[in-house]
Amino acid sequence: MTKKAAITVARPRDDVEQLWRSSGFGLEGAAVTLLEAPGDRGTEIHVELQSGPPAGKLGEAVQKLAGSEPLAKLKDDLRRFKQRVETGVIARSEAVPEGELAKRKLKQRPAQPLAESETEKAGV
Amino acid sequence: MRANVWSGRNTVQVENVPDPKILNDRDAIVKISSTAICGSDLHLYDGYVPTIKRGDILGHEFMGEVVEIGKGVGNLRVGDRVVVPFPIACGKCWFCKHELYSVCENSNPNAGIAEKLFGHSTAGIFGYSHITGGYAGGQAEYARVPYADVGPIKIEDDLPDEQVLFLSDVFPTGFFGADLCDISGGEVIAVFGAGPVGQFAIASAVMLGAERVIAIDRYEYRLAMARNKAGATDVIDFSLDADIVEQLKEMTGGRGPDAVIDAVGMEAAHGHGALHAVERIKQANRSETDRGHALRDAILACRPGGIVSVMGVYGGLMDKFPTGAFMNKGLQLRTGQAPVQKYLKPLYERIRNGEIDPSFVVTHRLGLDQAPDGFETFKHKQDDCVKVVLKP
Repeated sequence: MTKKAAITVARPRDDVEQLWRSSGFGLEGAAVTLLEAPGDRGTEIHVELQSGPPAGKLGEAVQKLAGSEPLAKLKDDLRRFKQRVETGVIARSEAVPEGELAKRKLKQRPAQPLAESETEKAGV
Repeated sequence: MRANVWSGRNTVQVENVPDPKILNDRDAIVKISSTAICGSDLHLYDGYVPTIKRGDILGHEFMGEVVEIGKGVGNLRVGDRVVVPFPIACGKCWFCKHELYSVCENSNPNAGIAEKLFGHSTAGIFGYSHITGGYAGGQAEYARVPYADVGPIKIEDDLPDEQVLFLSDVFPTGFFGADLCDISGGEVIAVFGAGPVGQFAIASAVMLGAERVIAIDRYEYRLAMARNKAGATDVIDFSLDADIVEQLKEMTGGRGPDAVIDAVGMEAAHGHGALHAVERIKQANRSETDRGHALRDAILACRPGGIVSVMGVYGGLMDKFPTGAFMNKGLQLRTGQAPVQKYLKPLYERIRNGEIDPSFVVTHRLGLDQAPDGFETFKHKQDDCVKVVLKP
């Protein structure tokens, strides 16, 4: 299985590089490449995870079920980075108030407003 | 607040739920004055859309008064009267900057789910299952509107709700369907389905200069509306003769329509006995999600080199797509959820200058608490129902 992920951000390469550095992404064991996208499409961020999962195939399966698999988390992080850089906010719905989250995929809230007690938990 | 929630196949109920809260600086809260039931809500109601969950608030056609704004919303004030477009779009990504708002890259917090089914994520949509983000919908007293600085359109004059409400979806969707047909004058356009989107596709094709517009449906009252209100020049009632393709050829001197608009989608009602039965079974056991009679006939009927414009909603996979006809006749297939934000201002102008009064589709006005009755009446086309407006 591939351990690569990529996303395109609608900003010039120099901006993206600076924003990426200041975003404090702690991608241990990951190689990050920034490329100018064709035309007016901005900058491509390519990330390759180099370290394997903690306990081989079994560890990978467990992480997948728990939604904490490194690749899934990487994709979440890339989407959040893009959202923050392009729109200034993280997309939050009532079903997914924390924003894109791999481990939320199978246990979503219903799409109705949060009770007072839930907002804090969701980090809003 | 009170809100209409999905609670299982063919069941919705109006319940008490918490009031919406601002979750982001670019959010606003709208107190809803009018909200509608959309034909595409019936796909959710009927249980054809897989990522719907019990308790989801439905509704993506709504308008009302701004009652709270986040600190990043500079263009709206508390008290403004707004119509809210159904696609949730950030306004900043490459797609939004190219007016492709319905495929905004940033507004769907369930992008990972959408990518698995569609290859890419599409925009968030209010009240339309979790694959479009899991946003609470607008069949409620209040709704949170994300990216309120780019979506809602301010209504500055005293036009009644019913004349501007449909800017939220069905008018721009019908217009988009006609706009994709490259109408320059003199064309024959056929429209499958005379529900609200079909009615607006017909009216829009007429406004854009089509010479003949043929409405196709199986309900006489809907065809009467198409002819008398939307401006269809011809109608086909397929409850009388199911061979729509042959009738369209005959009506166009053997040529076929220059463009065909599918305003039906995945629960098409007509079709040939045996195939229809097979598709119902495949949908029921989830091996096919989309029943495609309307789209198949649209492709078979369209003239060579013509355009098939798909506004009806499809959700997954369909069998027996007529690839041979599609390829050999050199057709163009154009489609999408309507990029409503692109059309808001020009269509609002057309309403203001009297070119169209979209309230002609309204047949039922109910209180929000009567939403379950509204869904039943609309689904079963009882009481000559075309469009239900709910008042919270």
